[in-house]
Amino acid sequence: MTDARNLWARRLATDFRAALVVTGLLALAPLFVSSPYTLGIIIVSIYFALLALGWNLLAGFTGQFSLAPAAFAMLGGYTTALLGYHLKAPLAIGIPAAILVTALLGFVLGRIVLRLKGPYLALTTLSFAEIARVVVYNSNEFTRGDQGLNVASLMDSRVGYYYLFVVVLLAVLVGLYLLMRGRAGRFWLAIRDDETGAESRGINVVRYKTFAVALSSAICGLAGSLYGTFSQLVSPELGLLQQTGLVIAMVVIGGMGSLTGPIVGALLVYLTSEWLRGFGGIQLIVFSTLVIVVARFFRTGLWGLATQPRAAKAAGAAP
Amino acid sequence: MLAVDLFVNGLIFGLFYALMAVGLAMIFGVLRVVNFAHGEFYMVGAYTYVLVAMKLGVSPWLALPAAAAAGALLGAVVERLLMRPLYAGYASWSIMKDEYAVVVTFGLSLLLINLVDKIVGPYPYRGPALTELSRVVLGPVLLNGQKLIAAGVSLALLVGLALFIKRSLWGRQIQAVAQNRLGASLAGIDATRTTSLIFAISGLLAALSGALLAPLINPSPDVGAFPAMKSYVIVVLGGMGSIWGAMIAALLLGILEAFFAVYVSYDYRDALGLLILILVLLFRPQGLVGEKGREV
Repeated sequence: MTDARNLWARRLATDFRAALVVTGLLALAPLFVSSPYTLGIIIVSIYFALLALGWNLLAGFTGQFSLAPAAFAMLGGYTTALLGYHLKAPLAIGIPAAILVTALLGFVLGRIVLRLKGPYLALTTLSFAEIARVVVYNSNEFTRGDQGLNVASLMDSRVGYYYLFVVVLLAVLVGLYLLMRGRAGRFWLAIRDDETGAESRGINVVRYKTFAVALSSAICGLAGSLYGTFSQLVSPELGLLQQTGLVIAMVVIGGMGSLTGPIVGALLVYLTSEWLRGFGGIQLIVFSTLVIVVARFFRTGLWGLATQPRAAKAAGAAP
Repeated sequence: MLAVDLFVNGLIFGLFYALMAVGLAMIFGVLRVVNFAHGEFYMVGAYTYVLVAMKLGVSPWLALPAAAAAGALLGAVVERLLMRPLYAGYASWSIMKDEYAVVVTFGLSLLLINLVDKIVGPYPYRGPALTELSRVVLGPVLLNGQKLIAAGVSLALLVGLALFIKRSLWGRQIQAVAQNRLGASLAGIDATRTTSLIFAISGLLAALSGALLAPLINPSPDVGAFPAMKSYVIVVLGGMGSIWGAMIAALLLGILEAFFAVYVSYDYRDALGLLILILVLLFRPQGLVGEKGREV
């Protein structure tokens, strides 16, 4: 028991340190990259890294599959934008409101669906994502439909934005690490590995699953809200299922169930997709093929491939 | 009189939904996983129909079996390459079923959409209709000729499927594997072949549904998203994995949607599905005819 526990704690600590190194490298990037365009691309990939961390909290750590990370980002962005557009609310209210609204939506959705075992969360979030997008798109008088809404900007400096995104990434990362190290994290992993077993040991499975969904939605909502103020525009396209597909690709390729994997996956996938844009829109073909191949043959993704030899040695097991 | 017209038109849409949902229910019945690429089987069927009829210039009546064949082939290939690790051999022991199924089928869905988008193009196509007849009036009911024929073919397919599953040897094998895979294999049933068969049938029906509707919907690469979502609602409403439940639920959803679009809101008619889904999960999670005991 104790050994297994230490092994997990050690692995998580290694994982966290690696993620800190990646974040640190990101923080150094403006010293070498001066073009605002390139910085902008890295900012967007950090936005995706936040979504990937949020989705991974559910899929990788808790074993629950949501298909709505992009929809929650869209809703977060729209919460901030609508508060500014209709009520002239400042961003100091708009951004926390986005976190609150998406957390609440996630909580309600979780309460309804997570009493049940089985694929209900994936089914419901898929419908929810598509309907949320259609509603935003069709409510012309309230959301201006596909024209999108303008959002106030937090600051003028692009480097300033860059550091804002890095700091938020760091904060989310540290928060997730602390949670994963503590009680909630161990309960989530127990639920992922054996839901019935976890329940039989007295874990309130429904409560912890719902907590994970609400937290994951809130992370996505925050990311969407920040993205809105950065690009100064939110549109229904933020919530496209293709965006969710991209997030899943990032986590699966980077490595599910780790902290470093989603961040590295997001950077790799988004930067590659920017580069592939020059070859005529084949990004999604490439990434969806990679997702299938990785899920089929290298289930642990890049992070797993990088750490498996060490993990096997640490466990003292042969293969 | 509007009510009769809505009822009949809704019922017809219910038949198309049933073609989609039944395959999904069968897959869930044997493997306990959801195929998130189901809408793309529909899309591939619609495109095969349109392209075969237009580019090869053959009669639409010949393009229909071509679409069916494409769907069946796609289903069987997907099962062989991607689904088999879920149940065959030692490899399946370490796989987390839900994780694998969601990720792989969702990835497949994106792949198929983007492949078609790249190869055929993102613009909608208009398929040739099976009949020149555009308006049929039956008492108070006004119908489009294509819709009427498509409804007839769908009805025949559904009745055929029901007979096949109830009566034929292969159909009984499907029932046995759905009830108990291990038990069925002990009784000498080839469970692997049966699973392939189920995927082929499921692909065939979804593709035919797409092909029959192609002249009405003008297929574009993402055309499968909404029919797929509706089949997910239907499968939950009918009771996960129940074929008969799915058929009943499909007809019900078709009729409810027709009335909802006229009396409540046309713009938000697709949101009715989500509403029904949430109500079912809240009040009757086992579905209309589903087995009990799926609650935690």
